[in-house]
Amino acid sequence: MKKKLLAMVLTGTMAAAMLAGCGAGNSGSSGGAGDAGAAGTESADTAESGSTQAAADELKDVNGYPTTQDAIDAIQERKDSGETPKLVVGFMNFVGTPKGIERISQKISERTEETLGLDVELQIMDMASYAQNMNLMLASGEQMDLFNAVSVGFSPCVNKGYLYDMYEDDLFKKYGQGIAAVVPEQYLYADVVGGGFYGITSQKEQGQGLFGISIAQQYLDGIGYDYQSKYENEGDEWIYTDYDTITDIFRQLHEKYPDKTVFMTDKGTVVGQCLPVDAIGGDYFGSLLDPMNSLTVEDLFSSDTYMNICKQMYAWNQAGYFSKDALTDTTGTTPAVKAGSLMAYKTALKPGIRAQESNLCGQPMVMFQIGRENFSASNTCNSMPWCINSQTEDPVAAMQLLNAFYTDPVLSNLICWGEEGVEYKKTDDGHITFADGVDASSSEYYNNVNWEMPNQFIADVWEGNDLDVWEKTATFNEKCDVSKGMGFIFDNSAVASEYTALTNVYTQYRDQLELGFENPEKLIPEMESALKDAGLETYMKAKQEALDSWAEENGKN
Amino acid sequence: MARTANQPVMSKAKKKSLLKRSIPIYIMALPGLLYLFINNYMPMPGIVLAFKNYKARKGIYGSPWAGLKNFKYLFATSDAFIITRNTICYNLVFILVNTFFAIFVAIILSELTSKWKKAYQSVILLPYLLSAVIVSYLVFAFLSPENGFINNSILKPLGIEPVSWYQEKKYWPFILVFVNLWKGIGYNCIIYLSTIIGFDRGYYEAAAIDGATKWQQISRITLPLLRPTIIMLTLMAVGRIFYSDFGLFYQVPQNSGALLPVTNTIDTYVYRGLLELGDISMSAAAGVYQSLVGFALVLTANLIVRKLDPDSALF
Repeated sequence: MKKKLLAMVLTGTMAAAMLAGCGAGNSGSSGGAGDAGAAGTESADTAESGSTQAAADELKDVNGYPTTQDAIDAIQERKDSGETPKLVVGFMNFVGTPKGIERISQKISERTEETLGLDVELQIMDMASYAQNMNLMLASGEQMDLFNAVSVGFSPCVNKGYLYDMYEDDLFKKYGQGIAAVVPEQYLYADVVGGGFYGITSQKEQGQGLFGISIAQQYLDGIGYDYQSKYENEGDEWIYTDYDTITDIFRQLHEKYPDKTVFMTDKGTVVGQCLPVDAIGGDYFGSLLDPMNSLTVEDLFSSDTYMNICKQMYAWNQAGYFSKDALTDTTGTTPAVKAGSLMAYKTALKPGIRAQESNLCGQPMVMFQIGRENFSASNTCNSMPWCINSQTEDPVAAMQLLNAFYTDPVLSNLICWGEEGVEYKKTDDGHITFADGVDASSSEYYNNVNWEMPNQFIADVWEGNDLDVWEKTATFNEKCDVSKGMGFIFDNSAVASEYTALTNVYTQYRDQLELGFENPEKLIPEMESALKDAGLETYMKAKQEALDSWAEENGKN
Repeated sequence: MARTANQPVMSKAKKKSLLKRSIPIYIMALPGLLYLFINNYMPMPGIVLAFKNYKARKGIYGSPWAGLKNFKYLFATSDAFIITRNTICYNLVFILVNTFFAIFVAIILSELTSKWKKAYQSVILLPYLLSAVIVSYLVFAFLSPENGFINNSILKPLGIEPVSWYQEKKYWPFILVFVNLWKGIGYNCIIYLSTIIGFDRGYYEAAAIDGATKWQQISRITLPLLRPTIIMLTLMAVGRIFYSDFGLFYQVPQNSGALLPVTNTIDTYVYRGLLELGDISMSAAAGVYQSLVGFALVLTANLIVRKLDPDSALF
């Protein structure tokens, strides 16, 4: 009998279901649900009308930005209550939780206690685990009031109901007036989905220069390449060039330094950073090939554009410019340059890129651009929006805190750069730099993810960048070709099986093609037929239908 | 239950004393059972997630029902056959190869009398304790096309053209079976070894007096005595035949896309597909499906064993 009991228990163990998330029963914790859709459209109308603007003109917050009586009352009420609520703010970086996180949280809290009557706790996780941790926290209802949806994915968050609709109870209108004054309107409402206002883009460049090539200056000097004379205008950060010139430079680099890898690109970024193709709806299974003019969903992989870029990469790979290990290598490009094993890599361009890449590579870099296309894809504003968790206990406080991060330079400096005198110090010419005795590795708070922070534009400028880098960024944003599909989000849950299959097919062929390991003439047709079998047409059709109805709703045709 | 009829009926007092004697054993089992209950039984109601369209704000039980929609993606695609074939065939080969070599090594170890026996045992066990990521880089050190040991130190001196290991799928079924064997053999052989050591030495002494050779001792005594253990371990492995070792199939091939046709299993397929989707209900559906098939397979396998040899069946 004992043997049988043991056996039963063992079988039970084997058959027991996978742990499927134990955090149930937290529904109803967020007050004031109501009919989100209806409330959304209603307040959307009022937000655009001028009535709120008139009221806002009279009232200013501590930083001189417009505010409302509701906001002032809410702060007063919180201060009078004698309790200081603590809000949790989450975002990701590349190096993991910084040592100084508690001190910086403390410093931020000192400021927010005074201006908003609340405390802040930062939670910073490294990129590798961010999406997973955040998904778990959101699903289990752990406290996480404000967070950046980067890497977690804005669209999945919306579809899963993780995000608070800021139109609800006029939350944004009452408590987010500062944000409305700071973020340009065409970008501000780009994260409105189905009448719900779920996220606010961070203040960053809203587009990218395509097909940038970054080459370490020392190797260009080594082959005697005269890059100084190639800049078109004085003060340009990069040199406009073409594919043949770059190929010629690569050839010389390869001859002079045969034991170093000439060129590398981060996997899966070739299409996104080289082609003016819009991965509309968040994936390439049906893309906009002419995104500035047309909202027709087409197949990227059978297009000439894709064939050409794969051929270029194939030519470079066959000439020996790629490492033979490139297919499996997961080292980032910039650490490889820093380590001295790599000479050039592909990157997207933006104002301040030369300083950024030179810092990352630990040496001066020279930037080139093949062609001169600057492109703003439809997902630009929803790739890393700031969002309020739908399960937050105090949406008003969360909205006010977010508002403060967009408008208060003190908070922005703290969250971007840490504490003055400990992490950084001011230089004589108005820049900031590492405090005495501190460097990138010993600093207790050096995230280097300011593009993800709510508003880096009001923080101080790091040494090596032009002091007017943010004005340049604004000009750059204006000059970008903006996709017609800007702001569209695709709920693909109805075609999730096709999506899963397509992702698997693309994974199978992507790196071989885009890193040039196989002849595209041979491999692309093979991938095409695999994609067709996996349901590419069904998926594209669903996407086109969603896009059409979105375009109709938003008057894009 | 037919067997109980043949057993002598126990008197009540005898039963009581047996129970009394077993109490310490049950107490010893308590922490394990508690763990089992908390980890494996308490989350069971979560199975309901697989049939829901999960919305965080509404919670698990408040979310709307989705019927069998979440299961569709596992079967609806052209890859369904490949991933199922890979998962089951690899596992079958693993069961056969690992069992054979584990018993082989266990018998060799049990026959050793050297003072190094413990050291050998530990060295064989070591790979089992390594994480899959470390194993993947050990493999990479051999197979790297640029600096790998095989290409540079074996193939090149022999004048053979180097191989792009991470692009050529034909080698991988063998590589994966070998890596799995190398990694798992230590653990399996310890179980067999401990069973062998527990056998009554009297059998062997009697056999030796009767002039049995080593080979006869092994084939006539050790193997038959090992049979219940082999059957039990195999049944347990059969129950997990629909699961694949994620680290082995994802990390060891360095997630190389070119190898997908021979390395994609149910677990890696679900992982790749859902990594971006972040759909909890669909992941739960995959888990439920694997569990159900596993459960059915254990029952079937046990049924067969019971037909062939009632004493070795689990239940």
